[in-house]
Amino acid sequence: MIIQLKKFGITLVSRPSGKEAWLAFQPVLKEISSEEEIIVDFADVVVLTPSWADEFLTPLYSRFNRRVKLVNADNPSVQASLAILGRHS
Amino acid sequence: MYRFDKQPTKHKLISIGQAAELIGVSIDTLRRWDKAGQLLSIRSGSRGHRFYNLSDIEQLTQDQYNIARDWVELPQGIEPEAEVYCKTRDVFQVRLEKFQLKLSQELPLSTVSLVTAIAGEIGNNSFDHNLGNWPDITGIFFSYSMRSKSVVLADRGQGILTTLKRVKPELLNAQKALRAAFTQTISGRFPEARGNGLKFVRQVVINNPFTLRFQTEDAYLNLKQYDKDVIVKRANSFIRGCFAKIGF
Repeated sequence: MIIQLKKFGITLVSRPSGKEAWLAFQPVLKEISSEEEIIVDFADVVVLTPSWADEFLTPLYSRFNRRVKLVNADNPSVQASLAILGRHS
Repeated sequence: MYRFDKQPTKHKLISIGQAAELIGVSIDTLRRWDKAGQLLSIRSGSRGHRFYNLSDIEQLTQDQYNIARDWVELPQGIEPEAEVYCKTRDVFQVRLEKFQLKLSQELPLSTVSLVTAIAGEIGNNSFDHNLGNWPDITGIFFSYSMRSKSVVLADRGQGILTTLKRVKPELLNAQKALRAAFTQTISGRFPEARGNGLKFVRQVVINNPFTLRFQTEDAYLNLKQYDKDVIVKRANSFIRGCFAKIGF
């Protein structure tokens, strides 16, 4: 499945909004089959901070581990946030 | 609030649109300030359009820095002017997005993205670490100037030492706490294992043509591109909470 982050906004900054996005996505994540890849698409995201990413991507990685793939992650703040969290696209 | 004497016409006049752009507020806000006598315009031309002395506006943008400094140094807190006051995180988010839009009209995407990200991280840090514990005034001061290419963020929160001491009791003073916040992954929000915010800010600043001045209590640091070390010094003034100025 593909998660288009722009559907949560293009300025993804605060912890509460990251947490809210994670909670809002739970029903969708429950429907994922055991082999399916989780593709996180950063297309059109202008601003990402480690705070937002930590609330959404960290639990996503905890749950799906290597099945998580990041795409269109070339935005500078996306790159910088992923680097500080130890994640790479 | 802001009131300036009208200057002789030898001073350069700029339009209300240009003035709004430089200060970082809307044209409607300037009209309101004018009507309220807070920042008076000069009416000129047959239609009486509003103009401003460039020197007044430059003075005002410089004042934002001083106003924020004065605010965090006050012994007793008062709410800042509404234009620069984000009482809640939601207000901050809206104004941050507006700031991002203004940046995007003048600067490349990389600058827009990174400057908004570090301003957002610093501002939200204030809310994260003071939620339910604001000593006097809730929320943050947030202003920016497109002319001087700077952003000022300040809070009258608990400060970094108080926040981090809960998880690192060995931190004895604000200097050590400030250094730890910029160099180690620690969070004052035990038991959460996080605390990358100011490390992220540091990485972005030293890898780009930006500057940062950050002060908490009587400890401050200056960072710029290519800086390898975090050098924390003791300030002459004491501030409540945190004060940050980003140059871009």
